Amino acid sequence: MQPPDIRTPERRPPVWNTLREALLVAAVGIVLALGANLVSPRGLTLKRNYFPAGISRPVAPATGFGSPGAVANTNAPGSSPAQLLAARLKEQELQSVDGRRAAQLFHDPRFQQGTIAFIDARDEQHYREGHIPGAWEFDPYYPEKYFPAALPACQAAEQIVVYCNGGDCDDSESAAITLRDVGIAGWKLLIYTGGMPDWITNGLPVEVGMRNSGNLRSTNK
Amino acid sequence: MNTSPVFRSRSAADNFAVLARWLLGAVFIYLGMNKALHPVEFLKLMRQYDLVQNFLLLNSIAAVLPWFEIFCGLLLLAGVAVRGTAVLLIAMLVPFTVVVSRRALAIQSAQAIPFCAVKFDCGCGNGEVFICRKLLENSLLILFSIWLLAGYGRKLCLRHTLKSCAVTTRPTDAGETNGTI
Repeated sequence: MQPPDIRTPERRPPVWNTLREALLVAAVGIVLALGANLVSPRGLTLKRNYFPAGISRPVAPATGFGSPGAVANTNAPGSSPAQLLAARLKEQELQSVDGRRAAQLFHDPRFQQGTIAFIDARDEQHYREGHIPGAWEFDPYYPEKYFPAALPACQAAEQIVVYCNGGDCDDSESAAITLRDVGIAGWKLLIYTGGMPDWITNGLPVEVGMRNSGNLRSTNK
Repeated sequence: MNTSPVFRSRSAADNFAVLARWLLGAVFIYLGMNKALHPVEFLKLMRQYDLVQNFLLLNSIAAVLPWFEIFCGLLLLAGVAVRGTAVLLIAMLVPFTVVVSRRALAIQSAQAIPFCAVKFDCGCGNGEVFICRKLLENSLLILFSIWLLAGYGRKLCLRHTLKSCAVTTRPTDAGETNGTI
């Protein structure tokens, strides 16, 4: 004798079951993902604004051209990259310096005395590959890591030149705003808009490795 | 033992679908890990799409998405809730493909170059890629997901569906649905 069939017939359409399953997986997945981000040493702090200079300014693609937002403005009058940058800095009440002025400040004896400071706002890898000699490392996405060394130097300085990779890079602005938020006077902060590429183009020396490593590389062409 | 051509064809398709499921799972784990290990870089890349203006929302997406992809990848590898996971993968892949295409079109327009010559880091987890290759990859991943959603790839699953074991949808699913590892 056959045992009775305990299976019950399907009452809901299979698509409903699939969607219900998807919702369950999504809910569990999101909770686990938030937990993983929380325990990960590299996890993001959800309540922190990583882009104090503004979220809406898109990052340039690696090809060096503008992103969709910038592209959309390409033909608009008065919207060249330099003009957009100038408008951004004005909005943030930050001053800019060009390569010539940055080089003057670098050769100024006050730089050796510590009353002029250079701040490198790029990530650790780029910093190690080559930075302005004597510049302090300060990745604005991990400020707590760099405050202990960079903050006293900024407090002692009368002028602080902040730079990153030039072009559409706005990490120097983020770094300047972060420093301003912890009490560094805004008038001290100068954004070197050309950044490291401009420095190299001008044939100025580059320090490889740690700060004051003594490993200088000439970029004279 | 059923040796009919239809049965053998279905069986062969199911074997390939299992490989597709594992491939899909492995790809999502790999891409998710690349993002989870460099969350700030992923956050910056997310920002370039200009999709949200609220930093809390942007941070949440950038924090959750990598781990969520890893979670989905693990489910596919283990064969748990395969159809539900496939729905989620399609729900992630389709909008992302649209957004990436829009950005590629904007770059193409700015540079006046052929569409397939556009190369950029789309935040997909594997660095800079040519857009046509990326679109091809995404299309394949979407097709694999649809295939799994259609019910293939049931072999070697820990628990293909999460619903009660006593319920089966089709007679052909009997004996394959659960515990077939």
